[in-house]
Amino acid sequence: MLREIARLVLVLGTICSLSAASLAYVRTSLADRIEMQEDFYVRGPALERLFQRPAQELLAEKLTVPVGEEAYPVFYLLEAGEVTGLAVEAAGKGGYGGNIVIMIGLDPRNDSVLGVEIVSHSETPGLGAKVELQGFRQQWTGLTLDCPVALTGDGGRIDAISGATYSSEAMVDGTNQVVLLLRNHREEILTLIGQRSTDPSGGES
Amino acid sequence: MNFRQTLTHGFWRDLPPFRLVLGLCPALAVTAAAENGLGMGLAVTFVLIFSNMFISLLRRVIPDKVRIASFIVVIATLVVLVELVMKAYFFPLSQQLGIYIPLIVVNCIILGRAEAFASRNPVHLSMADGLSVGLGFTMSLTLVGSIREILGAGTWFGLAVFSEGFEAFSFMVKAPGAFLCLGLMLGLMNAWSRRRGEIFIQT
Amino acid sequence: MDMLLLAIGAIFVNNILLAQYLGNCPFCGVSKKLSTALGMGAAVTFVAVVASMLTWAVYHYLLAPQGLEYLKTLVFILVIAALVQFAEIFIKKQSKVLYDSLGIFLPLITTNCAVMGIALLNIKHGFGFVQTVVFSAASAAGFALAILLFACVRERLFISPVPSAMRGTAIALVTAGVMSLAFMGFTGMTN
Repeated sequence: MLREIARLVLVLGTICSLSAASLAYVRTSLADRIEMQEDFYVRGPALERLFQRPAQELLAEKLTVPVGEEAYPVFYLLEAGEVTGLAVEAAGKGGYGGNIVIMIGLDPRNDSVLGVEIVSHSETPGLGAKVELQGFRQQWTGLTLDCPVALTGDGGRIDAISGATYSSEAMVDGTNQVVLLLRNHREEILTLIGQRSTDPSGGES
Repeated sequence: MNFRQTLTHGFWRDLPPFRLVLGLCPALAVTAAAENGLGMGLAVTFVLIFSNMFISLLRRVIPDKVRIASFIVVIATLVVLVELVMKAYFFPLSQQLGIYIPLIVVNCIILGRAEAFASRNPVHLSMADGLSVGLGFTMSLTLVGSIREILGAGTWFGLAVFSEGFEAFSFMVKAPGAFLCLGLMLGLMNAWSRRRGEIFIQT
Repeated sequence: MDMLLLAIGAIFVNNILLAQYLGNCPFCGVSKKLSTALGMGAAVTFVAVVASMLTWAVYHYLLAPQGLEYLKTLVFILVIAALVQFAEIFIKKQSKVLYDSLGIFLPLITTNCAVMGIALLNIKHGFGFVQTVVFSAASAAGFALAILLFACVRERLFISPVPSAMRGTAIALVTAGVMSLAFMGFTGMTN
């Protein structure tokens, strides 16, 4: 009886550990490629529309800024040693179908917003999915990110999409995360970019 | 069954999901486009061939009591493998298929073949069985996907089929179209097999 | 209010069976009689809610902190399989009546994609614990509702003159299509 149980445990245990080991191996060998693919297909299109440059070029310049539990991916545009464009991705919480991931492009010289793009969302088609529409997103263009934004219902300047308050609030939440990030970590980000552009190896910091 | 029969039985005699009524969920869920159907079918084929192989190899080692648990571990490992490889090399497709890739793990075809075939047959036969049933499933999914995509979106593998005046029945690429299309195809296949004098499989 | 919307959305708008296509095998298999459909609906609801709570905890407290999110498929199916085993043993010991009405469906549930699907959707949508419980209970209730309605239709189909080639699963799928069309009418009810 005991021998039989031991055999059961042994066989199952061996199968499980073999499977875990092989998966861990495959995962580590594919991790870089998966991240590259995610960047290219998920973030690439948003970046392309923001800066009118090929995605490959923009994706090569990626920073990750950790703040507390979140980590914000940051992309930048460098012209003659000066940072002329910055794109920050943030996950806006409280959407109807989960987080709405947005990418805000801005000009760091005067902190004005170039535009906002939706990286991913799972809102209801025809309602919450209207956050993708140019007419709604246009409200971001030209904002200056020195103070938090809010919906008109809360005394702010952004008109919510009618029938999709949750989705609009998630967009505002994402934007305010970027406002906070810039307020607290602006210098840190610019220094990191500076280090990278002078370091010929590209620097993996 | 001899080797040749094993290699071909999945194409008609046990064609899933029509003749072997298993794996209906992916057949409905991912067939809004032919490409998705093909991708899903190939993923299932891969899992099926190798799960049959491992289970057949291990069939004398695995004690009967933990048989199902062991099968599930083997199948789930292969599914995670497919998930990772798809993300690394076919990212857009993996986004399209979404949660239906991890759900291959509960696809009744795979556990069904493991239990009914691989656990009592030698390795070469089991792999042939996996290949045959898997390719049969791929064919079915691609066919359903083609019909739904052509009628529902007016394209086939993303290429336009009709001239501009065509108004697509977007109904076909939505949920009701999936059920209706699969149901009617099943009916057609039943009528065809009755003409050939074969007995019905479903009740 | 949020929770109510979430629940209504999961039951009607995104019905797990008729809009997300999950759980079709038991749908066609056990929906021939109202009583078996009721048993299956109850069994799925019970397992789905408990499994979602367990998988949510496992994902957020075991897998995510170790960076092992990619193993979720493997771990979830094992959790569900083990849960179903325990539930079966437990119910068998506790109540003969309950076992006869619910127990026979339990082994089928391990490979029911509705349960696994709900667990995966909770993670995909990034729900918190309370949302997870509400969403999985509502989704499972949606499954039970669909399978019950369907069983009523099927009991009548059984005595209708269906063309012989369409009998069985074929007509069941077509009927499900019509029901799914009806459920599409709920789109836009929430949000």
